Amino acid sequence: MKYVLQRIGAMLLTLFMVMSLSFMVIRLMPMSLFENPEVPKEIQEKLEDKFHLNDPLPVQYFYFMEGIVTGLDFGISVKLRPGLDVWGIIVSRLPPTMLINFISLFISIPLGLIFGIIAALKRNTWIDSTISVFVILFISVPSFVFASLLQYVLTFVFPIFPTLYDSTATTLGAMMWSLTLPIIALSLSPIATLTRYLRGELIENISSDYILLARTKGLSRPQAIVRHAFRNSMMPITSTLVSLITGIMGGSLVVESMFAIPGTGGMLVKSIFAGDHFLTVAILIFYSAISLVTILVVDLSYSLIDPRVRVGGGK
Amino acid sequence: MAAENMNREVVLSVKDLKVNFRAYGGLVQAVRGISFDLYRGETLAIVGESGSGKSVSIKAILGILANNAIIADGSIMYDGMDLTKVKEDTFHEIRGNRIGLIFQDPLSALNPIMKIGNQITESLRLNRKMKKEEAKKVALELMKSVGIPEPEKRFDQYPFQFSGGMRQRIVIAIALAGDPEILICDEPTTALDVTVQAKILELINQIKKERNLSVIFITHDLGVVANMADRVNVMYAGKVVETGTAEEIFFEPAHPYTWALLSSMPDLHTKDRLDAIPGTPPNMIYPPKGDAFAARNAYAMKIDYEMEPPMFKITDTHAAATWLLHPKAAANGIEMPAGLKARIERMKRSGALNG
Repeated sequence: MKYVLQRIGAMLLTLFMVMSLSFMVIRLMPMSLFENPEVPKEIQEKLEDKFHLNDPLPVQYFYFMEGIVTGLDFGISVKLRPGLDVWGIIVSRLPPTMLINFISLFISIPLGLIFGIIAALKRNTWIDSTISVFVILFISVPSFVFASLLQYVLTFVFPIFPTLYDSTATTLGAMMWSLTLPIIALSLSPIATLTRYLRGELIENISSDYILLARTKGLSRPQAIVRHAFRNSMMPITSTLVSLITGIMGGSLVVESMFAIPGTGGMLVKSIFAGDHFLTVAILIFYSAISLVTILVVDLSYSLIDPRVRVGGGK
Repeated sequence: MAAENMNREVVLSVKDLKVNFRAYGGLVQAVRGISFDLYRGETLAIVGESGSGKSVSIKAILGILANNAIIADGSIMYDGMDLTKVKEDTFHEIRGNRIGLIFQDPLSALNPIMKIGNQITESLRLNRKMKKEEAKKVALELMKSVGIPEPEKRFDQYPFQFSGGMRQRIVIAIALAGDPEILICDEPTTALDVTVQAKILELINQIKKERNLSVIFITHDLGVVANMADRVNVMYAGKVVETGTAEEIFFEPAHPYTWALLSSMPDLHTKDRLDAIPGTPPNMIYPPKGDAFAARNAYAMKIDYEMEPPMFKITDTHAAATWLLHPKAAANGIEMPAGLKARIERMKRSGALNG
């Protein structure tokens, strides 16, 4: 229990630092929030006063933090959705992003595990080599390149899928159909990453002494691998889940824009170009929070998998 | 003891076994034609330095050779079967149930994230289809017999909660769970403290007597051999160079390599500097022509570099592969080094052998 509280404390501290940093970095960018030739100068100044923009940066920082802590008040959007509450925008934009990110995660994990196991068991055969070639390709080429390739081949050359997200879709099926390509583009790299890690871990574990012991006590090779090597390989794999999830979210920023998916990822990119600072900061913080929660969950799940963490920690 | 062995039943018979490994540099000839019999109820020690092929031979017996290994020739007869021809699908019925193995390093031999109890009962439940409670009863009995205090409590603990010696006892319990008739010990005490070593060796001797096991004991520690073995095979460069009863090997060694091994063994009385064996074992991708030990052998003769010596029989149980035993060379009267002779005399007087 003490361990859990420690982890949560560390997470909150990190989140605080991320909030401070993203506030500073974004606010130091040279762009006035209310610059608009059609709005009279006095009104611009009034607005800046209302949002404390003429105060020194540390004072602004205080107001910013106060707003978040007291009521999830991240400010309002001034450029992209003028006047709307930033938090409200994020919440309304969340479903499509979460949908494609989670689906791609839940596709990647089983596929990555299956390919990893196959590659490890068929080590140094043509099957393993073929998988390795694709692994290297999918890890080294970023997801937006695959996104545009898929878009070109499967919507233009062979028009099977719609080019963009179908926001007018009435059925779930039609909507998912238009999300297929971005999900594939996002999944390739995590599948490859997982395959590579699991292959390495399994190969190491299969040649370990305790697999030999398992075999000499009368277990067949498949029994020994399933009962002993697999679970031991899962421990290091758990920590790669963090990078998997942040990788998918990062890829989603660009891929959402390319397929015109109305999610938070595309919104972040647009808000940066538009200079919609309140929105940018809020989405940054939101993404960091998700990553930190992921790390927390993974940290805590170690103790479920590894008795050395669980029992050893209690001493 | 020698006469007794002759009448005993042979449980395992290795004939002209050759094992090669495919490596990047070429074919490594790890085992180059070894033959030996294991009699029921005896302890056979296989002695040799690293790379002499002793571990490879027992891995061949257990069918757990690495994927790049090839059994090039020979046979391993056990219970009417040739183990070199048994398929992997069925070999797991022999491993554990008929032939058990105790490992060199108990620290890495146990699965770190599986409860000790489950590791002992696993094969009972999978292969003997025992019920959970029944298997647990057997496991607790085994844990008690290998000297684990409070087995009920220990049953649900993990390997990291055990000391090195206790882990080796667990490994022994696992090896005994299938009730094998042959127990192979691959340097079982190398990774342990000296005080723990003695206790583990005592335990192995005790369970051997209780269960009438036939034991193959792999080691490079001659002190351990003196305590454990009935018979000894000395291996060098993939061959058995001398074989005999423990008394014959320790008191009347005939091969220069055995002399060198005995001379390099520390004891309490020797004041002189210990003799080291010069050089390193040969590259087994290109094993030398003639006697493989010739280049490191102070007693090597011209013929040692040209022709491989056959096994010369000394007694019914004692033989060695060295040209020194050829009638022509024997006439020259080359004997073991004087220091070693004195040392053997001391050992005889103090009764160093209890094997």
